[in-house]
Amino acid sequence: MANSVNISIEAPIENQIQEITYDGQEIYQAPLSMSENLARLAQKIDFSKTEDEFCNIKKEGESSSDTKSDEDNKDQSYQSSLWPWDSVRNKLRSALTEVSVLADVLNIAKEKRYMVLDPVQPEKVESRPMVQVYGRKKALSAAAAVLQAGMERLRASETMRMARNMPDFHIDLLRLRQNWRLKKVSNTIIGDLSYRTAGSKFSQTGVFEVTKAPEEQIAQAMSMNTGGPPPSALRVTVPPELQGVAFISVLCQKEQEEVVTATLSASALSCTAGEGELHWQQRLEAAQNVLFCKELFARLAAEAVQLDASIPHMVVGNQIMATVLPGIQLLIGLCHNNGQTNANANVEGVKTEGSSSSGKSDHDHVLEHSLHQLLRAVHHANTHHPFPHPATGPLGPSKRRCLAGPMAADRYELLDMSKEQSLLEQIIQQAQHFFMRRRSEYVLDTIAKEVKDPLIVSHWNALNSPTQSCVKINIMAHGYDAVCRTSLVVHVGEKTLKCICRDGKVRHLSYELQELRDLIYCQIYQHQMTAVQAVGRCMGWQLLASSAHLGSGPVEPLGNASSCLLASPNGDRMIAIRCEPSVGIQVFIAQSPRKDFFSSELVQDKKWENLGGAFKEIKLDKMEGKNFLNKMELLMACLSSPS
Amino acid sequence: MGVTVLQQYPVPENKTGTYVVELLTKRILALGATQQGQFLVDCESYLSHPLMGTTKTVHILHNSEQPASVFSILESGTKNIHVIADGLFDLLMMKLSQHYTSKKQTKIESKGPRFELGDFCVKLGSVTMNQNFKGILIEVEYRPCVMANAVWGLLREFLQGLLGPTVPVQPPQHLISRMNEIYTPIDTIYQYLEHFSAYRKTTGMRTT
Repeated sequence: MANSVNISIEAPIENQIQEITYDGQEIYQAPLSMSENLARLAQKIDFSKTEDEFCNIKKEGESSSDTKSDEDNKDQSYQSSLWPWDSVRNKLRSALTEVSVLADVLNIAKEKRYMVLDPVQPEKVESRPMVQVYGRKKALSAAAAVLQAGMERLRASETMRMARNMPDFHIDLLRLRQNWRLKKVSNTIIGDLSYRTAGSKFSQTGVFEVTKAPEEQIAQAMSMNTGGPPPSALRVTVPPELQGVAFISVLCQKEQEEVVTATLSASALSCTAGEGELHWQQRLEAAQNVLFCKELFARLAAEAVQLDASIPHMVVGNQIMATVLPGIQLLIGLCHNNGQTNANANVEGVKTEGSSSSGKSDHDHVLEHSLHQLLRAVHHANTHHPFPHPATGPLGPSKRRCLAGPMAADRYELLDMSKEQSLLEQIIQQAQHFFMRRRSEYVLDTIAKEVKDPLIVSHWNALNSPTQSCVKINIMAHGYDAVCRTSLVVHVGEKTLKCICRDGKVRHLSYELQELRDLIYCQIYQHQMTAVQAVGRCMGWQLLASSAHLGSGPVEPLGNASSCLLASPNGDRMIAIRCEPSVGIQVFIAQSPRKDFFSSELVQDKKWENLGGAFKEIKLDKMEGKNFLNKMELLMACLSSPS
Repeated sequence: MGVTVLQQYPVPENKTGTYVVELLTKRILALGATQQGQFLVDCESYLSHPLMGTTKTVHILHNSEQPASVFSILESGTKNIHVIADGLFDLLMMKLSQHYTSKKQTKIESKGPRFELGDFCVKLGSVTMNQNFKGILIEVEYRPCVMANAVWGLLREFLQGLLGPTVPVQPPQHLISRMNEIYTPIDTIYQYLEHFSAYRKTTGMRTT
């Protein structure tokens, strides 16, 4: 702190200027001492004021007002200049006098000998009870008249209803209120049947109006049906665009067929009986269903236009066309019959009369159901946000997206999260899976039919998802299933198959089912080879050689030829088996040494016969035995005998 | 997310930062890399109010590789505490401006092109503080691996090949103690903070 600067602090000039001399010098009044200041302040107290006002003593300005007040009470200050506390003393004294007088009065009053205090009666307000009574009576009677008139009307209508056995409007309204959203707008009752409250964001409203049915109609309806449930006194009016019956038709078809022949069950559309006879509950439900179908279709159509698939989806009128697999199309149509005219602007190709006899429609109820389910899931997701969501955080993003920040997800993961499958994509995937499953079922069944010798048993898992299922295939021979069985699992996906074989190898196959067919044929022949070896082991035969992929012979169209060589327990006989998927199984036997030996010029000693002789083919189809393994067992048993 | 190593590249005398970035870009393109957009890592530091006791520093960092996250590191004497939050954390810091005041003049960022070369991801960042060029930071990420120990040799070789023999390549200070642990995005952020702090301390261009 070498070069610190001294700062002097002084109070601002508060003293009054007494005099300014001609040379400009100001002469200040000496500041008031403590006691003088107190006296000055005490003088300012106005004792005559009440306590409230007492608190806020007026603060007088120091400059101008002071000089003014100085002039005002010049004489006072002149007097008080003798003793500054004079006015204060005078005021305190008068106050003391007043207080002592009050104390005296109280004392006298307390004694009750000389003075009695009487309560003073306040002046009474003049009241006229009769006027009030009349006024109230009039008001009450007016209210009673209103109530009575209403009751009379109710009673009259009730008696009339009872007399004619009419249904009660109010009971019906109560029932309606229990199941539907209603509100009263001026004189009408308006209801809402849209799925807004359930999470729908569809723009079309579902407003309906509730009115009382005219009595003549009820009476007429009652006279019409005597046995059925009583007609309702309610009538609901649904907007014309929601009237009638609607459903989403889903069909899958081959491309070769003409698109126009897509037939819809006309019976479903024409099932609407007379509109008037329907109960309001059914009418509202039907209208709600129409609204739902419209929302579903509008959404699908918007998605179909937005999605850019390799083969673009087509939206024509009330129909969406999407290619599921090459050659197979998915048609989604909105069928709406609004009950007024059957032939107005419905789905193109709906032939209500002509084609109803041409056969059943291929309408896929499962896919239709999944479509409904998917939209309901969307509604549910709109209203049910994953917990916990912070009060300040945004609503809507998925749980994964909420955690993406704190978990420091990188841009690829975030991109991944932003991808959302649309309803159309999901339904196409389900349709694809449906076809894959049906095709693989067909392939497996035909193979099982074609190939009798090893039995092919396929078990489909009962539990599967809409886009994935699983089948386990067992290949075994009848009677030899304990000896050898080959099992493989096929996962059927949307466009691919995944086969997991016994050796643990995983093969991915495309939607072309020839691949699955070839794979299973290869598996069958592999099974035969391993099974023969297993049977040989049981019979005590010795495996000399085996090869799953034989290099010799003609080239196979699928897989390779395989072979194995077995020797009998005492080693004098051999069986060779060659298996080619295109030809089948060939079995050869050889014997060495031959029982009869004739020496020739080339082979002079019997020992050469031990080298093994020529193989001779066996005609398998002439052999006895239920199947290939049974034949082989018999053959081995026969060749094992020492004779 | 793999292991990332951040390396300071000394800018030679009489050369500008853009020259160095262009030089390195040429080298890496010659290796067969493809440019995949830009990247940006920025850091802003906040000081706690003196009335709250000892002054603490909070660093808020953003990395364009994790666009949804905000990284914050609280320096409290011996230990650093980090919090990874989502984007709303920035708004929270604005609300806390009474208690944590931002040191605007120390806002520092590293930005530049981003390259991908097989499993490697290389980012050439020019560091600027208040629009003043401070130096070059090179980030190399090897994506298939998450253990620094297992991949350090590979990364060093790659860096040596890219930067030339004149630049010494050492494992980052932050990684030395964590060589055998799983690498997480916050480790990258710590490395950036280390370098940014060094840049803030030096005036002018950083050479070592």
